[in-house]
Amino acid sequence: MPADPFQIKDCALIVRISDMLPAINLREFRQQLTQCPIDCIYHHFFECVLRPTFDDPEFHNDFARWAKRALHDSVLAERLEIINPYELSDLEELRKTVVEIVDDRLSEIHNIPWALDDNAFIFHSATTVVFNTSHVISSPEELGRAVREMSAGSVYYHFWEARRRTEQRTDDFTVWLNGWDDRAADTIWALSQIDFYFMSLGELQRRLVDIFDRTFKTRGTS
Amino acid sequence: MRSLAEYQPIVGTAVLQQLEQLAGNLAGIKVVHVNSTRSGGGVAEILHWMIPFMRELGIDAGWEVIEGNEPFFNVTKMFHNGLQGERVTLLGQHIEAYESTSRQNTERLRPILESADIVVIHDPQPAMLLKLCPRRKGKWIWRCHIDASRPDRAIWKYLRPLLECYDASIFSMAQFSKSLPHPQFLVAPSIDPLSDKNIDLEKGEVDTVCKKFNLDTERPILTQVSRFDRFKDPLGVIEGYRLIRKFAPVQLVLAGGGADDDPEGKQVLDDVRQAVNGDKDIHVLLLPSDAHRTINALQRCSDIVVQKSTREGFGLTVAEGLWKSKPVIGGDVGGIRLQVINYHTGFLVNSPEGMAHRVRYLLNHKEMMNIMGTKGREFVRENFLLTRHLREYLTLMVGLRRGFASRLIAAA
Repeated sequence: MPADPFQIKDCALIVRISDMLPAINLREFRQQLTQCPIDCIYHHFFECVLRPTFDDPEFHNDFARWAKRALHDSVLAERLEIINPYELSDLEELRKTVVEIVDDRLSEIHNIPWALDDNAFIFHSATTVVFNTSHVISSPEELGRAVREMSAGSVYYHFWEARRRTEQRTDDFTVWLNGWDDRAADTIWALSQIDFYFMSLGELQRRLVDIFDRTFKTRGTS
Repeated sequence: MRSLAEYQPIVGTAVLQQLEQLAGNLAGIKVVHVNSTRSGGGVAEILHWMIPFMRELGIDAGWEVIEGNEPFFNVTKMFHNGLQGERVTLLGQHIEAYESTSRQNTERLRPILESADIVVIHDPQPAMLLKLCPRRKGKWIWRCHIDASRPDRAIWKYLRPLLECYDASIFSMAQFSKSLPHPQFLVAPSIDPLSDKNIDLEKGEVDTVCKKFNLDTERPILTQVSRFDRFKDPLGVIEGYRLIRKFAPVQLVLAGGGADDDPEGKQVLDDVRQAVNGDKDIHVLLLPSDAHRTINALQRCSDIVVQKSTREGFGLTVAEGLWKSKPVIGGDVGGIRLQVINYHTGFLVNSPEGMAHRVRYLLNHKEMMNIMGTKGREFVRENFLLTRHLREYLTLMVGLRRGFASRLIAAA
């Protein structure tokens, strides 16, 4: 049994506008992409999931969203949207991939797509503020109920943000469950199968609850 | 005086714990907010709740208001309009009026400002104070509440050197930010759900207000609450109302007060009264700055809340309307875009015709109005209540003192 119980944390972002000039067309965007701080790349691919929205996001990163809604370039938007940043080794690799896609697109088109002035791309970064909550989980069987009651910030922190923070580059639940005996093996495997990057936090939360409820119940949780 | 604990039933315990964790890093520090009016307008409203809550959290928070004569406020109104894109002519006499009054205010406030750990200057009116306090010891933040996305060039050329020396600035939207040599942050404003302006009211109180202003509750009511300011487009709202009247017997309420720092209000009010032209179903209500419960009741008795601004920093009245479960028809500008999400919380419009079209749609889809009302209230609960706003200010203050990294642990 692990020595430490699972401490549930919560988080929120304080968003900062980068020093980069806003990009008004695709060529400027390409230029700024190569120069922006790496935290901007992280923000526009990962932290944007925390932004309040009513829609099931059609696009999962801000670059694809801008290509579609501001530049009206559907081809570019689709190519940017399909990038799964977790298949890439690090954020610099991600930056290179995006630049490559933009370069390909620039070589294909004759007219550089422009955005209206108030739709220029403004590069952001953010600081994640981490909060303690009073909730602690002592056994894996408590995970389903605990995750059901989590805030979106907690889901983000323990599943998304953990991949930037943990040594194993995985979610906090997996790290914690690895410390238990093999009764958590099915759960760990199920967690590894979640295609979470293309889910909203609400969808991810429901999937996690389902996995925790199902795997621990089927194994007899006494 | 309310305590933060009273907000627990609305926002939950976790949110209050977050504030305590952040404030643990700021215990005893001296924070001073400076603006240009103690009543009227959104900034004063925000400071009325923010100062006591910062104090409750152990921060030595204070609020100072700059004083000035008519020429000074005429110039600061020019700054305000110019930052929002109106063409203005800035003459030497304007600069002299601004700078001499700024110097007088500095002499009065110098000991407080120079000894503070953090000074938050709201909007351009007090912006010069930093330059006049060379022995300041703390960090200074410029908080821009207005839509400065396309400022008049002469105004920006004058203001920019005054703003460059700040340690950080805060904008409501990224599009409002400017090229400045210090960190710039995004913080959306918020409303206080327990204030007189937003607290739940008994039906009897709402009915009394309707009766007082001869509003017929059997017919649809549209309400725009805002200062009488050209950027709020009250004349455009009247134009929209006239188009709506061709198909529905609606009533229009234009309710607002003046702000101490707004010398143009009377002229705009005169223009509005002229446009009303004796129409008994347009109710132009000039209310005192403390008529919060009246405004609350007017928003609650409305079928649809309107905020058809042509420029808007944020538009607290939009959040107020949403909190009261009303669909909002808002101008497709500035911070209104953060709050009005088409088909979810209301509609964004660009013209009186657009306003009329969307009102017609909603009046014919009452079920949609109910759905939007429910969604709008939850949207405000999650994103635009004062606890979130306070949390972001505290985070920023902790960050300014500790330095900003990609991760900040809140617990001290």
